[in-house]
Amino acid sequence: MDVTFPYTIRVKLPSDLEVIPPIRKFISEILVVSGFSAKFAFRSEIIVDAICNNAISYGSAGEAESEIEVSCEVYSDRFEVVVKDGGGSAPNIERLKEAIGARGAKSPIEEIESTGMGLEIVRLLSETMELSVDENNLTSIHVVRKREDVNPPA
Amino acid sequence: MVMDKKSSLTMEISSDEGYAEVAVLRVCGALDFSGITMLSNVFEKLFGEARPYVIVDMAGIESICSAALGEFMGYRKRFVEQGGNLVFAGLAGNVRSKLTLLGANKIFSFYQDVRGAVNAYRWDYKKHSKSVSIAFPSFLQFVPPVRQFASRLAKQNGYSAKDAFRIETIVDEVCNNAVEHGEAGKGSEVEIKVSINKEKIALSVSNKSDPDKVAVLKELVKPAMPVSHVGDDDKRGRGLALIKMLSNELDVEITERGTSVHVTKLREE
Repeated sequence: MDVTFPYTIRVKLPSDLEVIPPIRKFISEILVVSGFSAKFAFRSEIIVDAICNNAISYGSAGEAESEIEVSCEVYSDRFEVVVKDGGGSAPNIERLKEAIGARGAKSPIEEIESTGMGLEIVRLLSETMELSVDENNLTSIHVVRKREDVNPPA
Repeated sequence: MVMDKKSSLTMEISSDEGYAEVAVLRVCGALDFSGITMLSNVFEKLFGEARPYVIVDMAGIESICSAALGEFMGYRKRFVEQGGNLVFAGLAGNVRSKLTLLGANKIFSFYQDVRGAVNAYRWDYKKHSKSVSIAFPSFLQFVPPVRQFASRLAKQNGYSAKDAFRIETIVDEVCNNAVEHGEAGKGSEVEIKVSINKEKIALSVSNKSDPDKVAVLKELVKPAMPVSHVGDDDKRGRGLALIKMLSNELDVEITERGTSVHVTKLREE
């Protein structure tokens, strides 16, 4: 049976940077078997890597037991990923808001501080990137990337 | 916190990582010859407090001299003798390069940040398990990425290529069964949970049952059916027989609502 769109892949991973490489590769391979190009899959893999890295490094408020949730919605014409973390500290959330919100336009790469480089790469590789923070400081980032090839599968 | 006024070097011990035996030493400034006495005093204090696992947070270090590195090596040996370790976390690029050039990476473990070092401690000393769960639509095309994920996770956590390949084969068989014999159609999902620690990997795969296949599946997993029952021409049950051969524990639960397979594989190498 052929893969039918849209579908969702949900991943829960521990707050451990070592788990990210297998996860990013997994999502890339899922996209390839769904008919997306290797280039699209690789770029999506970079997006997943950067957001998960941020979620683990800054969004888990030092809790070793906390989890990150990655939800990938795959449509025939786009890839959407939502990454939810266990809640960051107030200063980190402010930095995140600033990194996502303040730079409305794409900044020249030389103006970006090294700590905000991951999100800037995500911005370059995606169509939209939105941040939401709930009352418990739980953060989720929603990124949409549209496929580039001319004839997507139906 | 201790501070050397001449060089503005500071050292601070924290113990907020949840384990009494783990100490985080935050060092800021230039760690040169004049800071060695301060370093030595801090380590002696940690010995006195019986905290043999020391994470040196180097994020604030501007430079480090070879004599200071020698001091770290000497104390690392003593901490290891006490059943602990001394590891580095948060090394900036230039300091990391220098330490690597000096060959320190062959003696000390480097971690990206303190949390990474604490995770390593939990993994090595507390036999802590890492769990990843994946829910994917019930399509056979998704099984190869899932099996490769399990293999990569095992290798990433120090399992041998042979162990990783066996885990990959188990995941492939269990997930193929879940897709082929579980409920099909839009919205059907297979969920796999992989829990890995230093000694074993545990897999749980669950899916909704296909009502038409429940009776046949129950027959196949009857405990009375030995592995040798599977003949050369018998295609049914080979997957389960293979999983039994490759794993240390296999438990299958089949009900009208869902099927769950639990497999445990001990680390061999």
